Amino acid sequence: MATVLSGNGAAAWGFRLSRVQCYPYYPITPSTACSQQISRWVNDGAMNTVTINAESEHSAASQIIAAGKDVRSGTATSSKGLLYMIEVLENAAGGSIPCGLFIGNRATGAPINIWADNSDAYAMRDSGLIQLFAADGQEALDNIIQGYRIAEDLGVRLPFAVNLRGFTGTHAYEGVEIPQEIDVDRYLPPFAPLNPLFAPEKPVTYGAMLSATFYRRHKRNQMAAMSNVAEVALKAGREFGEIFGRPYGLFEWVGDEKAELVVALMGESASPGDAVTRHLQGKRGIPGVALLKIRLFSPFPAREIAQALAKAGTKALVVFEEGLHHGAVFPPLAQRIATATHLHLGTDAPKVASVIGGLGGSEVRQDHFQQMFNLADNIAEGRPYRTEPYWLDIAEDPIFAESEKEAAPQLWKRWGEVWKKQARKEKYFDPLPKNTEEIRIYSRAGQGAITSAVGFTGAGIESGLQLLTVPAFGSERRGAIITTDTLVNDRGKRKIRSFNRAWDVVILYDDTILSSPEHNVLEGLKEGGVLLVNTSRLRVTKIREILSASESRLRVFTVPASEIAQGLGLSHLNMAMLGALHRVYEKVPFEKAFGYYEKHVPRPRESSLEAIQQGHAQTTDREAVRAKKERRLVVSGDFLDWRPEDHSYDLWPTALEEIQLG
Amino acid sequence: MKLLPRSRPRRRDYLRIPSARKRWIRAMNDSKPNTQSGSQKIQDRAHLLSARSRHKEYLVSGRLVTIRDPEAGPETTRSDAANAGSKSHMVAPKTLTVAEVARESPDGIDTQKVLSEMADIGPQARLLLVRSGEKLMRAEVFEDPRICMDIQRGAVVENLTEKPADVSGWRTHEFFIDTKGCLGDECGRCAIVCPENAIHLMGRGPGSFHEIDPLACKGCFICWVECVRTAADCILVDGKTFDPTMRSKHFGE
Ligand code: SF4
Ligand code: SF4
Repeated sequence: MATVLSGNGAAAWGFRLSRVQCYPYYPITPSTACSQQISRWVNDGAMNTVTINAESEHSAASQIIAAGKDVRSGTATSSKGLLYMIEVLENAAGGSIPCGLFIGNRATGAPINIWADNSDAYAMRDSGLIQLFAADGQEALDNIIQGYRIAEDLGVRLPFAVNLRGFTGTHAYEGVEIPQEIDVDRYLPPFAPLNPLFAPEKPVTYGAMLSATFYRRHKRNQMAAMSNVAEVALKAGREFGEIFGRPYGLFEWVGDEKAELVVALMGESASPGDAVTRHLQGKRGIPGVALLKIRLFSPFPAREIAQALAKAGTKALVVFEEGLHHGAVFPPLAQRIATATHLHLGTDAPKVASVIGGLGGSEVRQDHFQQMFNLADNIAEGRPYRTEPYWLDIAEDPIFAESEKEAAPQLWKRWGEVWKKQARKEKYFDPLPKNTEEIRIYSRAGQGAITSAVGFTGAGIESGLQLLTVPAFGSERRGAIITTDTLVNDRGKRKIRSFNRAWDVVILYDDTILSSPEHNVLEGLKEGGVLLVNTSRLRVTKIREILSASESRLRVFTVPASEIAQGLGLSHLNMAMLGALHRVYEKVPFEKAFGYYEKHVPRPRESSLEAIQQGHAQTTDREAVRAKKERRLVVSGDFLDWRPEDHSYDLWPTALEEIQLG
Repeated sequence: MKLLPRSRPRRRDYLRIPSARKRWIRAMNDSKPNTQSGSQKIQDRAHLLSARSRHKEYLVSGRLVTIRDPEAGPETTRSDAANAGSKSHMVAPKTLTVAEVARESPDGIDTQKVLSEMADIGPQARLLLVRSGEKLMRAEVFEDPRICMDIQRGAVVENLTEKPADVSGWRTHEFFIDTKGCLGDECGRCAIVCPENAIHLMGRGPGSFHEIDPLACKGCFICWVECVRTAADCILVDGKTFDPTMRSKHFGE
């Protein structure tokens, strides 16, 4: 049975199940919640681990290295924190210390940016660590366990890092299978230090100075250990599958076996690529397509990837990348793939193009993959293409442009001929089938929308559906309008993590959002979709009037959630809104969900449950509502202390509590 | 609030530490894996360290020092619970070559089977043996990934097998052990921690002492920091005993 967890929560479980013995940390967005969860478990006695509140990431990294000589150690970090660690991380690799890192990938600036891309992971790529990329929380959890298994292998003994995209990975809530402890113990033997520091019969020194002769001989050894990783990782991934039912390879091949056109990438951004690949497969006029999801980035499995491409008869390969390699020909992944294919396949190598996107939290959407497959098609046809990276979502530098007017003049001077010979092919841009139902909440930060969405996600998962909730985090603070999106997939087993951004239900936690100049609440709302508004003063007709929307455009519901919350003495209206959501959206049956809420509802539990009931009962699409004067909840200290990250952990039970509850 | 005058620890307090250390060392020696129930003995030998703090007392058992409130009962704190079962000191795992396995035929493994497994791998085959006390925790045959066999994994230096080399030119201070203060073969801590294997035991029994080889000493201060006699008594740097200025210069304390 899957439990609802964020990517960070799943990573924390990875460390916990690996029985990490020492976990020093210095918190940094977006990986804070992982360390927070672990220190909570340690405090509760659920984990027998030494945690250290380090004074910096530099110290945290030094501490996992020191501890890693004798025990299993790990930490989590992001962005600048990782950059600050890099100085010592080479000592972990050179010292043959198999410690582990979880990285919530984030931009490194300048300018300052807290959102996701691979800049941090790329900055550390020459530090000698094994680097794995995870596509979701489940993979993060599984990869941490496998990471220790690979890193501690006697033929390897090197540190490792598991990467997960910030926010859309680390802060996305979805169902995660938490492996059984006994199974993990079977899979991952207890830590065996090869050269413990505290064994008085055989005292050792780490990090002694070595002159050139010995230094180079040592580095030769270090590289030899690194070159064993691919084989060990394959075996570890296979055995993981045997025990837990989720086998892992060095990369994943999604799509056609014979694929002329391939898009390669790493990590969480594969979600929309996955949907597009499956959509394009078998379409008339489109050759074989595949998505190459690379899991092991360092050491790069060059031979294996080249072989897979040769076997599939790939002609054109577009490498999508969320990071830069300043001054290099191609960004890191494209560079590695291009080298690999040319070394191993020679003149038979597919043509490789590079596309940069997803920087600093830029959205990676389905249409991006449609463009990339179209580009690959053009390349396979022999049309000329750029020998430097393409960019996504730069209006002055589009992938396809027909005339000079569409591009920046200096770029047209250079690439105009190439642009003219590229063709945008409409067959790649057919809209994707809407296989999911999607709910968007507009709320003000502090109103607890994430909490209710996470609860809803848990209830939905328990009733057998696949759900995913992705809150938008940002520099917004309390009172700013934020969105929280939930995806519901009720068709079959294949996980879908890609939003179509066509909302079945839009929820407003606050009726003033209707008049927000920055937010058009009708945007993306499906024809005939539902708008649910928390209001005591606006009638349904009035809302239609404000939006100038017809009866057929949307169905409007109102619920006096603030009033309900106030009546029950609650400081958050989110529980009443949760009840109301069940009234307007019935895919997750209310009766079943209520059973889940009875176990899991935030404190004070009685009042919260009552609020859910009342919210459900008082939701209406009728006119009969008495117009009242506006009601607002008193701004409590609670409200002012709110931070999104702690919030969702505080109020919904931790997985630990869930286990205790049975 | 009344401030009590802080009395400086008397000389006698210092002198008491070595006897505590002697017990520690004996306990440690007793708990070597080839003696029976070594860790049991350590626990039996748990004793209070002569404490300079009026607020805490230090319970020494084996290499473990537990800090507790004075006259606290025998109930274990959480950190005790965390360490339960691992109270004996750490034993480094052994990594054996084919020849060593054949010669030693270690307890607890099927030597024939292991040898044939190792033969399949070739000369790089190694056997890892992890023991906790007498118990064999893990035996695993693997292929040593090293290409240059003269360098340890992780460039680790084994202090006691390091060949002393002339690194005297690296040194900016002179290190001597005061033979009167040194505990001799009762201790040997400095010799264990010296990464250059520059410290040697002279003599046996009472009156024995340690000596630093001036050619092999690179002046790293490790012995000075680690000397059980708090560096004040025993290891002299440029003929001086404990020197706070030097300490802060080298360790930022
Ligand atoms: S100063 Fe360093 S090298 Fe010299 S004897 Fe002491 S530990 Fe050995
Ligand atoms: S010099 Fe200090 S550490 Fe070394 S044997 Fe003598 S007392 Fe022990």
